[in-house]
Amino acid sequence: MAISVDSKQNLKVKTLIKCMQCDYTQERDFQVGDFVLKLVGNCPKDNGPLYIAGIYAEAVTSKK
Amino acid sequence: MNGLIIALAQTSSQGQSGAALAFSYIFYIFFIALLALSFFPGVQQKTQIMFLSRDVEQKLQMIEGYLKDSRGLTEKLLKEKGFADPKAFVERIIDRFVIDPVSVEPTDIINRMKLLMRSNEDTVREMITAVNPNIDPMTRSQIEISTEVVNALNLIYKVIRHYLIMAKKLNSIMIMYQLQMVAPIYVKYAEAYAKAQKVFLQGIPIGDGLGPLVASRFLMKADQKFTVSKDTIAGSIEFEGRKVVVVKAEGPMATVGTPGEGVQNVIEREGGRVSRIITVDAALKLEGEETGSVAEGMGVAMGDPGPEKIAIERVAVKYGIPIDAVIVKMSMEEAITEMRKEVYQAADKAIEYVKRIILERTKPGSTVVVVGVGNTAGIAQ
Ligand SMILES: [Zn+2]
Repeated sequence: MAISVDSKQNLKVKTLIKCMQCDYTQERDFQVGDFVLKLVGNCPKDNGPLYIAGIYAEAVTSKK
Repeated sequence: MNGLIIALAQTSSQGQSGAALAFSYIFYIFFIALLALSFFPGVQQKTQIMFLSRDVEQKLQMIEGYLKDSRGLTEKLLKEKGFADPKAFVERIIDRFVIDPVSVEPTDIINRMKLLMRSNEDTVREMITAVNPNIDPMTRSQIEISTEVVNALNLIYKVIRHYLIMAKKLNSIMIMYQLQMVAPIYVKYAEAYAKAQKVFLQGIPIGDGLGPLVASRFLMKADQKFTVSKDTIAGSIEFEGRKVVVVKAEGPMATVGTPGEGVQNVIEREGGRVSRIITVDAALKLEGEETGSVAEGMGVAMGDPGPEKIAIERVAVKYGIPIDAVIVKMSMEEAITEMRKEVYQAADKAIEYVKRIILERTKPGSTVVVVGVGNTAGIAQ
């Protein structure tokens, strides 16, 4: 049975925002209400529409 | 037996006195009694059952904890959404069941199964909308998922408890051993389910959303999207001279839709003139395999009890259309909780696989159907 034993890792959910016209990208923390392909304002570079390209969890590596 | 103990005690009492003597008496009596006891048939087994059942009880408590958490979350959600009596609603839904159709008469099992499953979903949906007719689809899907989680956890809890009580009643070490072996796996499942509910309630895409994510990348460029079956949407784009019809569940609600029926309707609408069906889905990895690795093969990639999967197979057979499968691997837990970055990055790779299949195996001018299978929570189109 495919159940792995890696559940103890800490995850942080991030939202990746991209511009539809240029290569502008921005990663920020996930906020409730975010969903993939939601339009979230305009690009600071060329005023093109910004959209959420992905929402994913990253393992937090504690630097101690 | 008694004679032996006393004899031994006496031999050791030479030259000792007071407290030390009393202590060595007690020590010997205790030691020998224990030794003698362990030779009685059944004593060893009894102690073993005791230890095993304590272990299982502890696991059962963990499962119960997850069940309580999930129940609390569901009741809280219902309360927020205007349900007057959340407790009663959960009480009604927690023991819901669907009875498998008769399988000794194997004609038409799929249709009967589909009817039962569909009408169960519809009934739960109606139960929700009856209380709150103006509920938004997003919240409704979250309530539906929550009730499913509570239902599943309740079943796990009750079944483990059943075997624990039975093993104790029958004093059966064999049942206890088996239970002790599987209990940790079910604790893991329960934990994953409880986590999944929290993720769904925040609207975060899950690992299983890989298929819909790939489909949404294609659908971004489609100007027209239309509903093809219950909770399922499609749109067509042009790619290198081919018409690509892309099907996915309708997001960002937490639903898997009815991709099988959707594909069937799309192909019938095209009059069967489709040269390839490509299914994209998340798949369970084997331990040791890397999360986010991509593989391709033949057949319908879909974790469905039957009705949806067979709908695609049947329409493919009817018109002689080959079915390709592209899968992205992940663990069970990764599939039902937050989408990992590795899986997100694998979406690009999966898209490359799909594009290559289209270029290599179809001619310009033909029509291809691409299906992104999975739960589309947090992924629009
Ligand atoms: Zn821009």
